[in-house]
This record gives sequence, C-alpha cells and structure tokens, in this order.
Amino acid sequence: MLKFAFKNMAIKKVQIILIVLSIVISAGIGVLAFNVSNQVSDGITQNALYYSVIVGPSGSKTQLAMNTMYFAEEPLGTIPYSFINKLKNDNRVLDVIPFAMADSYNGYGVVGTSSELLKDRELSDGKMLNNSNTFEAVVGYNVAKYNDLSVGSVIHTSHTVGGSDTHKQGIKVVGILDQSHSPYDNVVFTQIQTLWQMHDHSAEGGEGEHKTVCALLVSTKNPSYATQLANDYNTTITDEHGHSVPIQAVEPMSVVRDVLSDADDTKYIVFVLCAVILIMNIMIISIITLLNMYHSSKEISLMRLIGISMGRINLLYIIQNGIIGFLSTLLAFGISRLCLIFMNDYVSSMGVVLNIGKVYPLELVILLGIFIISVLPTAIWTFVMSKRDSISD
Amino acid sequence: MIEIKNVTKKFQNETAIDYKDIVFENGKSYMLLGASGCGKSTLLNMIAGILSPSSGSIIIDGIDMTTRSQKEKDKFRIQKIGYIFQDFKLINEMSVMDNIDILRLEGVNTQRAIELLRELGIFEKKDSKVKHLSGGQKQRVAIARALVKAPDIILADEPTGNLNFTIGEQVIKELVKVAKGKTLIAVTHDERLACYFDYVIDMNKMTSGITDINTEGGVDNA
Repeated sequence: MLKFAFKNMAIKKVQIILIVLSIVISAGIGVLAFNVSNQVSDGITQNALYYSVIVGPSGSKTQLAMNTMYFAEEPLGTIPYSFINKLKNDNRVLDVIPFAMADSYNGYGVVGTSSELLKDRELSDGKMLNNSNTFEAVVGYNVAKYNDLSVGSVIHTSHTVGGSDTHKQGIKVVGILDQSHSPYDNVVFTQIQTLWQMHDHSAEGGEGEHKTVCALLVSTKNPSYATQLANDYNTTITDEHGHSVPIQAVEPMSVVRDVLSDADDTKYIVFVLCAVILIMNIMIISIITLLNMYHSSKEISLMRLIGISMGRINLLYIIQNGIIGFLSTLLAFGISRLCLIFMNDYVSSMGVVLNIGKVYPLELVILLGIFIISVLPTAIWTFVMSKRDSISD
Repeated sequence: MIEIKNVTKKFQNETAIDYKDIVFENGKSYMLLGASGCGKSTLLNMIAGILSPSSGSIIIDGIDMTTRSQKEKDKFRIQKIGYIFQDFKLINEMSVMDNIDILRLEGVNTQRAIELLRELGIFEKKDSKVKHLSGGQKQRVAIARALVKAPDIILADEPTGNLNFTIGEQVIKELVKVAKGKTLIAVTHDERLACYFDYVIDMNKMTSGITDINTEGGVDNA
C-alpha cells in the first residue's frame, strides 16, 4: 500500500509540490511567527533579570534601561560615582556594578565597568578584566573578528563615533568574549578607571574626586527589595561640587514589561495577520487537495472497475495525503528552525539569542492542525466518493 | 457455470433490456455479437457485478450474485473475474508493471505478470509508461492485468474496438490462447473474429439464445 502510495504520488509531482509548498509556507510562517515572538519576549525579559535595579540620571526610564542592558541609545547623562558607597551601605543591596558608556572604537561602543559585569560571559581567548589594573580591554566577539584583534593588540578609542580624535593612550586587549549573539558581541569593555583617566578624571583620587558614571547596576539580596529601592532612590543627590543631581532608580523588569506591553499591540496585529495568512493557506491547501482528488476521480473509478474496494482506495489516498501532510509539516518545522538561525543576527541587538531547539507546545498544535487540515479534505472527498460510488446497488 | 435467468436491466432514461436465459459453461469461450446498444456490455457488467440487474438472477457456480452485497461482488470480481475493457482502463502515467501491481492493493499475487507479459510479447515494455505504448500494446497490458490473478472467468468488452483488424485479430488469438481452460466471454461486433471462439451468441436475437458453432471452430455466418 505504502509503495503504491509513493508511486501514485510520483506521477503527480507538480500537484504534490504545490501542496507541499502551500503547507510549508502556511505552517512555516505560523510556527516561525509564534516562536520568534515568544522567544524575543522571553529573551528580553531574561535580560532584565540580571539586575534588580538600575540607578542613573533622571529622564527616560526606557533609555536608561536600554542603554545599560543592551548598550543601545545614548546615555541619559552621568551621576556621581560616589553614590556607589551609599548603595553599598544599604543592607538590602548585594552588589553594585559601575557602568559608563563613552567613546567608541571603530564604531563599537566602549563601556567602562568592573569585571563583575562580565562574570557570566565566556571568553574565547585571554583573561577577564582585572579591576586593579587599567588600560585593559575585553572585547566582544564581533569587535575582535572585524578588527583583526587578538590578545595583546592595542586599540585607540575616540571621543566620537568614527571620529579622528583618538586618545593617544592605547588600551591593551587582554581577552576576547565568546560569541553570544547578543549586544556583548559588539562592545569594548574596559575598567571604569580607564575611562576616567582618559577623560582626565583621576582614578587615583579619593572620594572627593570628580568621577562619574552613566549608571549603577544594583543586585538586591531579595527580589522584593527592588521595588523599595526603586521608590527610595528616585531622588536628588548632591555631587562633589555641591550641584544637585536628580537621579532615578528603575526596575529593568518593569521597563521591559512596559515595552512588551506597548509591543503587545504590534504583536497582536502580527498574530492577526498570521492568522489571516494561515486561514488563506488552509483554504488553498483544501482547494488544491480537493482539485487533486477531483483529478483522481478517473483513477478511482478505474480502480473500482478492476475490483479494488472503496475501502482500500480510501486508505490509499488517506495514506498518500498523510505522507504529504507529514513531510510538509516536518519540512515547515525544519525551515522555521533554519529561519531562526538567520533571524538571530537581527534580534541579537535586543540581547536575545533565539534557541533553535526551543519548541513551544502551541507550535506543535499549529503543526498538528496543519497536518489534519492536509488530510481532512481527502478523507471528506473519499467519503463523498464512496457515497456516490459509481459501482453500487 | 454462469446462468442468466429472466434478467432485465432498466436504465434511468427508462429504456430497458430484457435478456433471454443464457448459460455460459465453464472452460468455454463465447463471443457476444450484436449491434451497439443491444445490451452486450451491460450483460458483461452485470456478470462482473459492476451493474446490478433490475430483475432476474445471475447465478455463478450456483451462487446468485444478485443477492450479494456490493462488497461481496467486489471481492468476487477481484478474485474470480478478469475484465478487459475496450478503453483499457490503465493509468497512463504509470508503468506497465505498476498497472498490474495495482491489484496488490487487494492482496492479489502478481508474480505471474512477467510470464504473461512474455507470452503476450510485451515483456521488454514492462517498465515503460503506458502512455508511451501503442493501442495494441496497451490492450495486451490490459489482458495481462486481467489474467495475472488466474481468474476463472474472463470478460472482454470490445477488446479489439480500438485496434485495426490485423492487430485486433492478433490480440484475440493471444487472448484465446492465454485464456485456455477458462470461461471467456468477449463482446465484439466484428464477425470475422468469431472463428476463434467456441460459441457465438447473437445478442440482436435475444430470444434465440446460444448460437452453436460448427465443431471445426468456425462460425457459420451464412
């Protein structure tokens, strides 16, 4: 039966290819849209979990969060580094990491921080930043790759993006991050002191020196402290010169939730469009399958005349379309995974790595639905044919 | 033995054909002669269980087929009857062997196919697509498919209808040869082929029953 089903399919290559294509397109789009949308949401949310609170200058909460989590957007400004002491003395705080974004290297952002920012990152070569040293850099995978950097290379950063006003003093590359398909691939990390020294802020100075950061990334001892800190540190502080500096503390998770909430409308539109495409494709699949069966009616009556029972004919066509449906949905699934690889380049700027192995239950439901839809018209057709059997009493 | 008893077949356009009683003996070959529309093909289709008589009985080896369900008739047809159609009823896009192997869907053993194709002189075409064969070759494939299951009854509806006389005669000779020992009922309107059959039935004379042929194997067409 199976052998004959394959032979029967082989003589209808064009129709079969059309059916397979329509199923692959509809199932592929549906599954891909659902998977990417969910993985991006999950990924963005995951990124927000690294820190409980971000303390930075007053202004756009989103800009502050995007700048520190994804190294995107311009920093809002600076706050006095000395504020780190107050945070460290807060018994609700576990750790504080300084963050400053200034300068660039061939278009790649330069971040001044401490080694703790990179503690969860893997190195492909070299070593991590040593907080006691200065003028060392750990560079992202793409930075090293596209600038032919290796451990020991010396880079000269500039004040502006692609500018010629480079700092005379070079920074030595001590480590190269492993590829993570995240914003970390496109950043140069150096000690915060390095940035201060390059901008004439004394790294050697005491508490009174004029040292600033773009943000302070705070981890709390207990997740519930995050909201308290966010409320407590929306205030104004005074810098070393006696100037008032308004600061804000934001919960990255809350910012992400707001962003995703705004994106939900877009997501909804995308889903509606996907649903429309899916419905149209279901109709196309049904029509093509029915046309295919219609063209097979001569073949069916022929088989009936030579004595093949309607039951066997039904089974033959159901197996045949079952094979088509199964292979198509399998192909659709495979292609959707392949697309994830290519889409990784686009979503990595959001700090999200699409996991090719990630399968959501609803994806399986969509694929199962498409499979059933590809077999159902055949079952209906053969049922109708058996009722209208030309050879019957 | 096939017995046709008081059979009438009515069609939707209200025409009806009344058949006189006819008996086909096992192992004999019969030629049904007659003008178009006299009911030759209808009779074959009723024997094969493709059509059902409106009244009367068709009894095959003591079993009244008219009382059987369509499923039982299908089973009987696939097991006991080899049917050769005028328009071959082959799937053009498939190969000769696949057209025969299609019977395996019903569990028919098609191992004899090679032997039959050799006997019919089309063995070398076994892997060719049917659409690339001539009319004579297609009819031989149809014969091979009908005979591969070693049926007790062979029904042939105008097996030479699409062929010229020379090829048609050759096909009939081969058909009679490979069907030897079986009950063969062939419909044709070409009287010149009558000499190859044991009996000729003039279906135009529905009341005349079986026309016996001379013992030398030819029909008295005079």
